This record gives sequence, structure tokens and C-alpha cells, in this order.
Amino acid sequence: MSTSLRPYLQCVRSSLSAALAISNFASQTSERHNVPEIEAASSPELLLNPLVISRNYDERTFIEPSVNSVRVSLKVKQADEIEHILVHKFARFLTQRADAFLILRRKPVEGYDISFLITNFHTEAMLKHKIVDFVIEFMEEVDKEISEMKLFLNARARFVAESFLTPFD
Amino acid sequence: MLLLDYHNVLIHSLLTERFSGSTPVSIDQIVSDFDGVTFHLSTPESKTKILISIQVKCFRELVQYGAQQVLEREYGPYIVDPEPGYDFSVLIDLENLPAEQEAKDDLIMRLALMKRNAMAAPFERAFDEFAKLSEEASRYTTESAPQGVKEGGEVMAIHYREEEAMYIKASHDRVTVIFSTVFREETDRIFGKVFLQEFVDARRRVLTLQNAPQVLFRNDPPLELAGVPGLQNVNDGTLSYVTFVLFPRHLTPQRRYENISHIQIFRDYFHYHIKASKAYIHTRMRKRTADFLQVLNRARPENEERERKTASGRTFRVQG
Amino acid sequence: MASQTPAVVMDNGTGYSKLGFAGNDSPSFVFPTAIATKAGAGSAAGSGPGRPPVANKPSFLAGGAGASSHLSGKRGTEDLDFFIGDEALAAANGPGYGINYPIRHGQIENWDHMERFWSNSIFKYLRVEPEDHYFLLTEPPLNPPENRENTAEIMFESFNCAGLYIAVQAVLALAASWTSSKVTDRSLTGTVIDSGDGVTHVIPVAEGYVIGSSIKSIPIAGRDITYFVQSLLRDRGEPDSSLKTAEKVKEEYCYVSPDIVKEFARYDREPDRFLKHTVTAPNGRSVSIDVGYERFLAPEIFFNPEIYSSDFLTPLPNVVDGVIQSSPIDVRRGLYKNIVLSGGSTLYKDFGRRLQRDIRHLVDARIRASEARSGGARSGGLDVAVVTHKRQRHGPWFGGSLLGQTPEFRSYCHTKAEYDEIGPSIVRRFALLGGPGSS
Repeated sequence: MSTSLRPYLQCVRSSLSAALAISNFASQTSERHNVPEIEAASSPELLLNPLVISRNYDERTFIEPSVNSVRVSLKVKQADEIEHILVHKFARFLTQRADAFLILRRKPVEGYDISFLITNFHTEAMLKHKIVDFVIEFMEEVDKEISEMKLFLNARARFVAESFLTPFD
Repeated sequence: MLLLDYHNVLIHSLLTERFSGSTPVSIDQIVSDFDGVTFHLSTPESKTKILISIQVKCFRELVQYGAQQVLEREYGPYIVDPEPGYDFSVLIDLENLPAEQEAKDDLIMRLALMKRNAMAAPFERAFDEFAKLSEEASRYTTESAPQGVKEGGEVMAIHYREEEAMYIKASHDRVTVIFSTVFREETDRIFGKVFLQEFVDARRRVLTLQNAPQVLFRNDPPLELAGVPGLQNVNDGTLSYVTFVLFPRHLTPQRRYENISHIQIFRDYFHYHIKASKAYIHTRMRKRTADFLQVLNRARPENEERERKTASGRTFRVQG
Repeated sequence: MASQTPAVVMDNGTGYSKLGFAGNDSPSFVFPTAIATKAGAGSAAGSGPGRPPVANKPSFLAGGAGASSHLSGKRGTEDLDFFIGDEALAAANGPGYGINYPIRHGQIENWDHMERFWSNSIFKYLRVEPEDHYFLLTEPPLNPPENRENTAEIMFESFNCAGLYIAVQAVLALAASWTSSKVTDRSLTGTVIDSGDGVTHVIPVAEGYVIGSSIKSIPIAGRDITYFVQSLLRDRGEPDSSLKTAEKVKEEYCYVSPDIVKEFARYDREPDRFLKHTVTAPNGRSVSIDVGYERFLAPEIFFNPEIYSSDFLTPLPNVVDGVIQSSPIDVRRGLYKNIVLSGGSTLYKDFGRRLQRDIRHLVDARIRASEARSGGARSGGLDVAVVTHKRQRHGPWFGGSLLGQTPEFRSYCHTKAEYDEIGPSIVRRFALLGGPGSS
């Protein structure tokens, strides 16, 4: 783990843990509705200050807290167009399975690759610190996965090219 | 599967079965092959006479480069008038087959390689031309060679797919084969670039590949193609040119047959592997997604599972 | 693109996959839906923390590295090292490979294996560039929509196929019956009896839509008939009673008799009904075995399951009748009128005739009973027809081939462009191919 990664993740962890202090809150604007306020954004007094934690220009986390929901968006490092397409593919693959992921938002927030929406119902049903663990682990693993996939692609390309050129001789 | 077969598996298996003396049945099958090639296998007259027809998109161009002669050489006695809608037909009479098993197998293989043979014509011509030119060139020193010998033969263009073409050019010291490839999809384009870069680098990097053909790759038409009509010069990144430079050692009569088969399959091989990589990446992502789900499920409290089962399989709920 | 190329029709069943091109009268390839992978390496979907290995030293040709260069060359390419179909069975007999069946009970269970199975089907066997072809795939009735989406994800994202249509096997089996001379009105209403190797389904279809709540399965199918034949051979102490021989006997000699008691008597009167079957072992030795009552007894387990099974006792005609009776009342007449057979285990001679007779008996008895109860009202009668046709064996595939060659087929497909625009959810809905309004 590189030196800047640990403080970055630590910072996300504490900020997210703090932001997850959410509770049930019925909608003020429409009766008998209960919506994630961060998504509805109908009453400004229920939204807290959003927060960007960034490791560098390419990698940042955007936490938007509100009274009953928190939105966490990640921007994954993309050094070149290969990584870009891999991140894109992976994000799509995950959002396609958002049903199973409960807290995954089907569409990332503008400017980010993947977003989570955690509501008070999630924190009630699940252990709060474990949700944070999940987000942190997700951030760690995604980077690893992307670079492994890129490695694979290069390795495969090399292998394929060599195999094709060999029989000529 | 690493390399693709050169021959059509279906034709091969079908004929092997027919040739082995099983009871004749009527056949009427349309079979596709790569690059929009269509075969039609039928038994129009009687069950023992199999008509095999092939339709190739660029057949007219191939004939121009001597496909007819190549096919006549390969299938001489079996050739019949092309079936309407197809470019070339052969008729095999099951009652009139070569007696020895070896000759039979050879015939089956030759028929299964019909696409390869049809496409081989321009290559053969280029290889021949190379032999001629190199002989001529050996009589001159580099400086004094006449223009024709130095520049080499004309560029043969084969528009084997709707948007992609193959260009072949012979010179006195090499044969250049250029593929134009189009990627319609962003992912494919990027994957393709990675792959092509490795094709280019392989020769430099790996010791044993020093003798392999040189591969070049660029987004604008290479110099060899200057003056070839119908070149699209759109530079939106979807079109790229892959050049294979075959050196004399690849053009010897002994290597010739294999190498023609092999270079033909390039595009399909290349695309197959792009797709296989995508499939593998899918596999990885599935695995990774399952891992993530496991981590997320750890966040659920354990004791949520209130339903228990008795030994007889009934369920009951734990109170409290 | 893809202007004249024939559509690719793939019917992947639990046991066998049928692959071919639309317009043909039989599939080009029929082989087991099996994939042999390097034992251990290929099971990425298995448990454990291991993820697919990544090659970091793939230059298997990087000379000079000695013995290890060969090994490292193998790393990262395990996913290319596999066989499908008959080759998979052969490879699994040797060392190093393990066999997997990606489809269970008609539904795809292992997507990793299925993706590779498709990849090899397309590139090795069918030899097509998927970008140039439209694809028609099949699915079992009641396939969850998520499975469709996964299929579309693979077909469009991995293979970039030009267009995709996913049809329900039972509906295609109905379409296949249009070739029968008995069928005149090309309707997509009917009852499909699909009997393959593992299980028999009775599926009511109304105007192209499966009535899911009424589907019934019967645990008796081809494999059970084979076992039954084998047990009869064993009881008699035939010199060869292997499963393979039993299968041969089943396929070559079995037929359905109208009445087993009479059939027994006929065998006693006419001894030439007993046949001899010669089995040639791979080593060239051949033995001759007798083939007797099993000729008509074996398929009889559909009609009198009690002779074979002790826990499933409802005869097939009663199941069919029950299925139709549980369907909405306004389609029942159509369901009785068009009972279509599909699958290898419906090919016995006179299978359809016997089934039709038995169902008609049930229906007539019910009509008579209700006439009697109503006190004098007359019923107009009910038409029961079982359709047999030449394409029964690969019914769904042939139906796909038939529909896939129609000029409007492509307009029913979802194209790659539409998929890119909308995403996998697009395949949740397909317009009904071959339904009203199409030719």
C-alpha cells in the first residue's frame, strides 16, 4: 500500500463514519412519503455540507450527507484509455447487478464512476461499521482489479501476438 | 483454443461422414464461414452427388488475381458450372471416390479448405511475382536497378469485407500484406490497439521471433498504398492499417502453403482473441462481484436468521 | 453489415446444444452442452479466495528461460484451454481436464463456462464473425428475466453480435409443427409436450405466450426409458446389457402399442416379432442379444408409469388433460386441438396416435358425464389432435430456423445499437415472432 493511500482511506473511513449518523425522517414536502433527502433535495435545511476527499487529481471520493441518507461517489484512477474503458466496463457490470448490492446506486453521480446511496433503512438493517468496511474494501479492491485486468490484457495481447507470429517461421 | 482452424469444420465432418460409406441421405445446408463467406451443400440430383458451392464477397477481385486457376488446380475434375447465386461449385460423386483412404482424406481436407484456396490466389500471385522480381533484381546493384524492379508489382486490393480490405504487394525483397481494420466499438478499438502494439513489439522483444514477419500498425494509409483508389482517409481512429512484411524466408516454396493459410486467418484470429479477452474479463468481474457481495453481506447482523429447521424438515421461528 | 448473412440459431439445452443457421432443415452441429476445463484452474466461480490468475510472464517463447518458460507460458491462458461438446467428453476421459455442464434444468447455471462455450461454438464450429450475424437463442419457459439480461450482456458486450432474439423453446416447437401437413392455420396456441433426456414438460402456450402457472413436469423421460430397457435386458440375462446397448435398442426397436395385453398375445402368436440385435464391441467382438417385449413395454412407461416408477403414477395423457383443464377456459379448445410433440423421446412410432386416443377418451368421458348431469343437453364435442411431424427431434431448433429465415425476423431482434442505447434491460421484452400480423 503506497504511502498516500493509507491516509486517504483513513480519511474516507472517518468522514463516512461520521456522515452515517442518519435517522429515519419522513418527507416534509409530501405527506406519508419517506425518501432519501439527498436524492430528493427538496428541503435545503436537511442537507449537510458535501465533502470531497481527494488523493490526487484522478482519485477522489465525494460524500454528500443528509438527514436520512448519505451518497458516496468514487472516482477511480484512470491513467490511460485502457484503464478508462476497464473502469467503465466494470462499473457498468456492477450497476447491472445493483439489485443484489442494496446500497449501490444504479447511476453514478455526474463526474464520478460509481456511487453508493446509503439510507437510514440500510444502517438499521446492517451494521454501520461494516458498511464502511465494505466501501473501503471496495475502494482498495477496485484499483487492484483494474490494474490486474490491465496486466492481463497486456499479457494476453503479447501471448496472442507471439503465438500468431511463431508459425511463420 | 488458441489458433483457429484453417478449414471449415462442418464441411469436413459432413464429408467425412458421407465418404465413410454411410447410407446416402439428401443434404441441403447453408453454411457460413468467416468474412461473410457462404457455402451451400446440397444433393440436387441424387443422394450420392453432393454439390458444394461457395459464395465470396470479393470473388470478382479474386478471379482477377487468378482464383480460377488456383481452384482449377485444386479441384480440377470436380468443377461444375457455378450454382446460381454462388461463385464457384464442385460436384462430388460418392460412387466415384478415390479408393484409398488417404486420397479420400486429402480430398475432404481440400474441399474443407475451399475458402482458403479461393482467397489464396492473390497471395500466390504475389509470391510468384516476388520470385520473378528477386531474380531480376539479383542482376542489378541497388542503384542501377530499373524503376520497375525497384518499386515492385502493383498493389492487389481485395475487399473481403464490407468495410475492410486486404492489400498485397510484391517487391524484389519482400511481400507486403496490409489489412485495413475497422472497429465499430470503443472497447474493441482500445483492446485492438493493445493487441496490435504487441504484434508490432513481439519481433523486437522476443529472440526467437527475429525471423517472423515484421508487423507495422498505423492509423493513416501506409506509403505502399499511395495511389490505390477507394481508400478512405477518415481519421476518426476507427480505421487502422496493419502491415505484415513477409521476407524471402517466408516465401520459399516449402513455407508457402502454410504461410498463405496463416496470414489469411489473421483478422479472424485477432477478433477472436479480442472477444475471448472480453469473455475472460467478464469472468473476472463476475468473480469480483461475488466477492464484493460477500463483503457487503458481512454487514448484515448474524442473528437475523430466525428461521430454523427441525430434523423432519419443518420450519419454525425462534421467539424473541 | 450483416446484409445477407443467415441468422445463427442456437438452442442450448440441458443435455445437448443444437447449433446451425436459419433456413436449414437440421442443425449443423448437435453436441453435448459440456465444457472440459483444466481441473482446478477453470473453476473461477468456485468458492475460495482465489481469483483467476493473472499472467505476468506470458512470453512462453522468451527463449533461454529454460523449463520454467513453458510453465509460465501456460499461466494466464487457462481460459483458452478448454474443449466443448464431444471433444470435451473425450478430453475429460484423459488426465488434467474436468467436465462441466453449464446448463442445469434448462437454465444456465455457470455463466463463465457458458460464455466460453458460446465463444467456442461461434468461432470454432460455426465459424462466423458475430458482428455479421443475427442470433436467435432459446430459453426454457419461466426463465428469469435476469438470465436473459446476462445472456444479452454476453452476446452484445463480449461478442458484439449484430442482433439478438431470445425465444421460448415451447413456442418455437409450436412453430416447428407448422411443417406438418395436418396444421393449417399456423397458430401459436397449443400444448407442447417436450420430452428430452432428463425430464418431460407439458407446456400450454396461448397465442405465443406460455401459461406459466399450468406447466407440469414429469420425471419420466428418455433416460428412464433407457434404464427400463436395461433392467429388462438384465432380468433376462442377456450377454450385453450395457447402457449403450439399451439406448440402441430403445432407439432402433421401440414403438408404442395400442394395448399391451393384446400386444403380448400377438408376440406369442407371431414369434418373428422377437428380434435379434447385434452389438459390436470396440474390440471387434460382436454378440447377439434378443429383443423382445421391451420393444413396446419401454415407451409404455409414459402411459402406465407404475410399471417403472413407484412414486410417480400419473399417466402422460392424464397430465396433459390436467394441464389443459387448469388453463384459462377460453383457450382450452385451442390447446386440445393442437398438441405438439417435441424432443427425442416423442419419436416412438405411434406415440402421437396413442396419446391422442387416450386424451380423447378422457375428454369424451368427461363430456358424457356432464351431459348426463345436465339432463339432456348435448355437447358439440371437443376436438383433440396430437400433431406429429418430421422435425420433432430438434423441434425448438427447427422452429427457430423457420422463423429466423423470415424476412421480418431482423425487425424483431434487438440490435447492438439498441442495446448500447438502453442497456441489458432491453431484452426483457421481445415482440412475438411469428405471432399475429407477421406472415
